[in-house]
Amino acid sequence: MLQYVLAGLALGAIYAIASASLVVTYASSGVFNFAFGAMAFSVARFYYFLHTENGWPITAAAAVSLGMFAPALGALLYWLLFRHLLLRPPLIKIVATIGVSVALPPAVDLVFGKLPNTTAPGLAPVPLTVFHPFGATVTMDQVVNYLGLAVVLVVGVTVLRFTDAGLRVRAMVDSAALSGLSGVNASRVSLGVWAATTTLAGLAGILVAPTAGLSTDGMTYLMAAAFAAVVAARLTNLPAAVLAALAMGVFTTVVQRYLDPESALSAQIVPSIPFGFMLLFLLYYALRGRVRDEPAGGALDRAIRVEDGGAARTAPRAATPAGSPHGHRSLPTVAKAAGLVAVAALPLVLDEYWAGLAVTGLALSLVLLSYTLATGEGGMIWLCQITFAGLGALTAAELATTYGWHPLAAVAAGALPVVVLGVVIGLLTLKLGDLYVALVTLTFGLLVQTLVFTRDRFYNYGQGVAMPRPGFAEDDRVFAYLTLAAFALIALFIVNFRRSTAGLAMAAVRWSEDGARTVGLSIVRTKLLVSAMAACIAAVGGGFLAMNAQAAMLDTYNVFGGLVWLAVLVTIGSRSPVAALVAGLGFHFLPGVFQTHLPSAWAEVPVLLFGVGAIMVAKDPDGVLAMHARQLRGLVDRWARHRPAASPAPLAATASASEPTGGERP
Amino acid sequence: MTTVTTGPPDPSTAAARLEASGVTVRFGGLVALEGVDITVPAGAMVGLVGPNGAGKSTLFAVLSGLLRPDAGRVRMGGEDVTRASAAARARRGLARTFQRPELFSGLTVREHVVLADRVRRRGGRILRDLVTGGGFRRPSAAEDGRVAAIIESLHLEELRDREVSGLSLGACRLVEVARALATGPDVLLLDEPASGLDGRETAELAATLTRVNAEHGVSLLLVEHDVELVLGMCETVNVLDFGTVLRTGPPEEIRSDPAVRAAYLGAEQPPGTAREAAPDTDPEKERR
Repeated sequence: MLQYVLAGLALGAIYAIASASLVVTYASSGVFNFAFGAMAFSVARFYYFLHTENGWPITAAAAVSLGMFAPALGALLYWLLFRHLLLRPPLIKIVATIGVSVALPPAVDLVFGKLPNTTAPGLAPVPLTVFHPFGATVTMDQVVNYLGLAVVLVVGVTVLRFTDAGLRVRAMVDSAALSGLSGVNASRVSLGVWAATTTLAGLAGILVAPTAGLSTDGMTYLMAAAFAAVVAARLTNLPAAVLAALAMGVFTTVVQRYLDPESALSAQIVPSIPFGFMLLFLLYYALRGRVRDEPAGGALDRAIRVEDGGAARTAPRAATPAGSPHGHRSLPTVAKAAGLVAVAALPLVLDEYWAGLAVTGLALSLVLLSYTLATGEGGMIWLCQITFAGLGALTAAELATTYGWHPLAAVAAGALPVVVLGVVIGLLTLKLGDLYVALVTLTFGLLVQTLVFTRDRFYNYGQGVAMPRPGFAEDDRVFAYLTLAAFALIALFIVNFRRSTAGLAMAAVRWSEDGARTVGLSIVRTKLLVSAMAACIAAVGGGFLAMNAQAAMLDTYNVFGGLVWLAVLVTIGSRSPVAALVAGLGFHFLPGVFQTHLPSAWAEVPVLLFGVGAIMVAKDPDGVLAMHARQLRGLVDRWARHRPAASPAPLAATASASEPTGGERP
Repeated sequence: MTTVTTGPPDPSTAAARLEASGVTVRFGGLVALEGVDITVPAGAMVGLVGPNGAGKSTLFAVLSGLLRPDAGRVRMGGEDVTRASAAARARRGLARTFQRPELFSGLTVREHVVLADRVRRRGGRILRDLVTGGGFRRPSAAEDGRVAAIIESLHLEELRDREVSGLSLGACRLVEVARALATGPDVLLLDEPASGLDGRETAELAATLTRVNAEHGVSLLLVEHDVELVLGMCETVNVLDFGTVLRTGPPEEIRSDPAVRAAYLGAEQPPGTAREAAPDTDPEKERR
């Protein structure tokens, strides 16, 4: 048993360092760092570059990696991105950090080269020295983990408690606004915090690399485990996070003593432990009552913060043109129609390869519509839409292949159990704050991915479960039009929802639950309605993705892949079905362009661009499409103003464009 | 327990639109309300005043169903609604405004009124639009008329198609009142509705509320720092202090009551100077 406990403490020490990094950044800046894994990977990769690839001694490589590279990386990211996030709503913070997590690894790969394997040494010299305290076996790597945590705790407590810099950080945590009024340079303190926490991320990355591997997957798992400890500590309690991380590490290793190492179930249970841990705490909080993830700061900070009465709304629109539902800046109708005609022509004019990409993009657009509804309209930061898509695809494939259902009937029926799941998750997250909702849904996705999607029967060596297309749509072109028709139908449904009383009710609930209650609206019913509809759309989209690939291939529905989908969608525009269409097509066309016309070394660049796009959301939360729509409208308005005053047409057009919509939109 | 009945000279408890009895609320060790009784008879305008921290907003939260009391009962039309949700009370005819306006920032002024009107008239059938393509239909002339009338009564015509996120605090308060009126309430709870309004707007609001009360028989319970406004509008005034009802009575009695003056106005302060302590009502300074 001692053997397991010591190994668990070593694992828990890494989790604790990672948790400390997450808690400090969240408490001081209000940013929950979804880019933690990417930061850990980047620093660990740089250490590998110095130590393994260039033969630097451990001490020198660690000193340069952790003492120079990591702080510089943190400072750079702060300057480029994090300083812009201070007053942003939760969705923008999440998407921007997801953007970093997407962009950073390919950028690092471009600079240092993509690693052919994932084994990496830690900070202990190889071959590892082995100790035998009380008959147990402890490796030097594990001892380094203990020492790493001890150093972090001693230095951290000393700096925070006994230094002027620590006093400034604590003042910032309490109230950035008041500390600023007291002469504290908030930007400099924040920059220091991000530099320090990136160093902690790097340390955790280097320490975990010998066991979890030097890969984004390994670092992502580390991040998810650290999330669990941070959630247990209610996001801001540093000592609780460290203790929870240690406990989780010990539990993870001790439980293996009682599991059959040869069993496939054991192989699924062990990686699921942090997610189960997190889900347990979140459910406990949810059942205890309302849990808000209040951002850091005091009363003055709340007073000057951009009002965030709803969940995941984007920035307020100061001068929104009337005529667009809930202030949504949409493209001119002519532009929309021209775009749809262009998309409809794609299967006819493109060759087989590009037409194939277009169909896949269309199917993805269907899934993205579920984000449009849940996040764009409902303001709910659900990070498991891709899991709903995967479950819909899997159920439909099972019904079609095993039970011989018609594929379209299977897709429709496959959505039903997913709707039930959506409603259950909606119920469980009713009283949770935005960030907790994001974490619950992320955890649910990771659990399904680990416990369901990896089952041999479904995974089938990556081939998945076969899913036929309908007999009349076996041809790619016909299937493309079938998918486009489904997209148009669902898009119309969403537009109708937005303009209907139910859409007004959803907007009301999103912006002020108390206000909505006192009007007589049921918060539960309204939120569950959107949860169910979004889950249904995701499942149907997943079914179409499976029909397109002619198999429900579960690698397609990786939860972190879903974060990239969300990032791409929000980059283009989270509230517009047209944006979903553009995002879906762009997601598949852009890599196609790079693979076809550019050197293979640039294969990662599209992912990098998607990440950079999401980072840009921090500056323009409405998304690229809305930004261009604004520019287009500006051009049209200028053109209209410069036409002769005698001409009545443009004046009428202008009047029409600003015609009020009220509750019923034209 | 403080047991004071308010309202017209001889109020019948059975006829009370809204009645709270023995309401107690504790936040940990802090007793915010203790044994508070208050009655809002049909068609009455009742005031509730008190210094900061007296428990006025807490009492409003209890009355509107946003906060469940630790003890006591809330009745509407004689029926116990203590355990009913805020939405259920709203559907029974209780509307309210908030000290810090709780508006739907992404919606226009008109959409606030439209939504409240539809919830009132359609009840649970607001989802019907979703399956019948209602989002693409124009509103009925009757709905347009009702909505326009409410907007005009509060002089919000110029703002009707503006999103509320860009409005001044005073305008936001009027939008809240408009939304509340659109629910067709029997009882309207107003939490500092004049805060942020200038003198003209305050007078217009008072006139509108008086008209609503007179024409539609809507009972009003008014919390307001502007004591003169409350004393001028309401036939009965309750003074809350340290979570208990200190006095209840007609405005003249309240104005001259030494205990009230000591607790609320300050013993040394002559009556009529309360507005000096009221919040700044310059709407330009209070833009959101």
